[in-house]
Amino acid sequence: MIRSPLTNPYVLILPGFLLAAFIILWPLYQLGLISLNEVNRFGQLRGFNDAENYIAVFTDPDFLGALWRTAIWTGGIVIGTLLVSVPVAMILNDDFYGRSIARVIIMLPWAVSLTMTAIVWRWALSGESGMLNSGLQNLGLIDQNIQWLARASTAFPVQIMIGILVTIPFTTTIFLGGLSSIPDDLYEAARLEGASRWQTFREITLPLMKPFLNISIVLNMIYVFNSFPIIWATTQGGPANSTDILVTYLYKLGFRFGKLGEASALSVMMFALLLAFTILYVSLAMRRDSK
Amino acid sequence: MNKKLKKSLLYWLLLSPLIILILFPFAVMFITAIKPSNEVLAPTWWPQEPAWRNFIDMWAVTNFGNALWNSVYVSVLSTMLALAVSIPAAYAMSRFRFKGQGFFRQFLLVSQMLSPIVLVIGLFRLVVWLGLLDNINSIVFVYGAFNVAFTVWMLQSYFSTIPKDLEEAAWIEGASPAKALVMVFLPLALPAMTVTAIFSFINAWNEFVIALTMLRRQESYTLPIQIFSLVAGRYTVEWHHVMAATFVATIPVAIVFAWLQRYLVRGLAIGAVK
Repeated sequence: MIRSPLTNPYVLILPGFLLAAFIILWPLYQLGLISLNEVNRFGQLRGFNDAENYIAVFTDPDFLGALWRTAIWTGGIVIGTLLVSVPVAMILNDDFYGRSIARVIIMLPWAVSLTMTAIVWRWALSGESGMLNSGLQNLGLIDQNIQWLARASTAFPVQIMIGILVTIPFTTTIFLGGLSSIPDDLYEAARLEGASRWQTFREITLPLMKPFLNISIVLNMIYVFNSFPIIWATTQGGPANSTDILVTYLYKLGFRFGKLGEASALSVMMFALLLAFTILYVSLAMRRDSK
Repeated sequence: MNKKLKKSLLYWLLLSPLIILILFPFAVMFITAIKPSNEVLAPTWWPQEPAWRNFIDMWAVTNFGNALWNSVYVSVLSTMLALAVSIPAAYAMSRFRFKGQGFFRQFLLVSQMLSPIVLVIGLFRLVVWLGLLDNINSIVFVYGAFNVAFTVWMLQSYFSTIPKDLEEAAWIEGASPAKALVMVFLPLALPAMTVTAIFSFINAWNEFVIALTMLRRQESYTLPIQIFSLVAGRYTVEWHHVMAATFVATIPVAIVFAWLQRYLVRGLAIGAVK
């Protein structure tokens, strides 16, 4: 083999590794450092203070509320997306008139930035001038305007609904990849054996789709857990922090209230949680590889 | 044939609630964008007379041109940066077996999982330390770095489908590795690189949190931040201008994406699920 920098893999991966490591590891080190220090709102460190920042986060009732809502937010969107995406992917995997148009429409929310989607929804959901209210009234479904975003009891479910809508394209994509990997012979054989549709779904589609289901669930958990723009651009976590999840709460702690120490402590804990998700993902993916 | 028609009708019927929900915000966006200013607050579905002028007025009122330029600048440069470092890395990952490869793969995976929001305070300190606060070049670096994992991943899965024999044949013919790379490999890899570049561009185009944190003056705002600033914390929002701006900022990207999504489906199917 001819020697050349182009045949040395370490030289080839070095620039990418350095760039990513610099932008990720340095901030991570800083977060760890700040989280263990007393820090003023301008970011000057004032010496170690044991784990006071961590304790402060845990004893903050707003944190506990945000933590609970993050669980609902993540669970609601991931499960909701799954329930919609499986049938959608199965439909899109079948041959029918206008399939390519249907595909493009279903994928559309993926192409639009979450910020823009959230801003449009905020306007559509407006109490007096919102087109959702007028549309529902025209259809006779409601007879009074609903202030969708003014109360947590309607705002949060609507935000979850938007979250599901924008998560469907990615999930469906993964499922379509999975469905196309199932050989047609299996369905053929099942039909010859006289299996019903439901049996075919349960005995062939579901087991073979399982790795794809697992992976989409873990990846979606990570993405949804991290999702910031939908809530920020519709309610900014309001009214009165009632729609805050961890990421919006973190942003407020750091950049509104100037509590950098607590915000860093929260970041470190969220990083640990994400790392746990990632390990889960890797072990799922590895299990699939070894099969 | 008749059976297929029946099936198609059933499928469209089943999909229709979802399709209505997906298209609803686009309809709201478009209809509001063409409403005359005195009709915007009336929740009617169709304006008396479409006000196409909104698109022209919006351009000046919302400082659109400047934000558009910033978005293009940031997205193009960060994509070029990410590709410049990812192409060699992906090439190494797909062509060689080496010690530490597993570690590098895990590193990419973890950095892919980490969204910027979790690191935002550390990133803010980094940018302040480098003296780049409020400078859009800081965003170029952060976007570029956060895109490395995705671009290496996508490129690697495509590169692996290009047979190695071709390069080896070129080596035997006496071409240097550099020449083999440029003459044989890169032309074959061009479509993959184009597709990856476009997705990297769209990621940067749509990013919100980092831009919101690092950019303070209106002159440096990118499109999502500029449009967000028109609705956040204001008593009166000029919704017809906001929606016109959203429309112009969104539709071109959406069209490109819709056209390319099948490549993403393929890339993800080969690479990401592995």
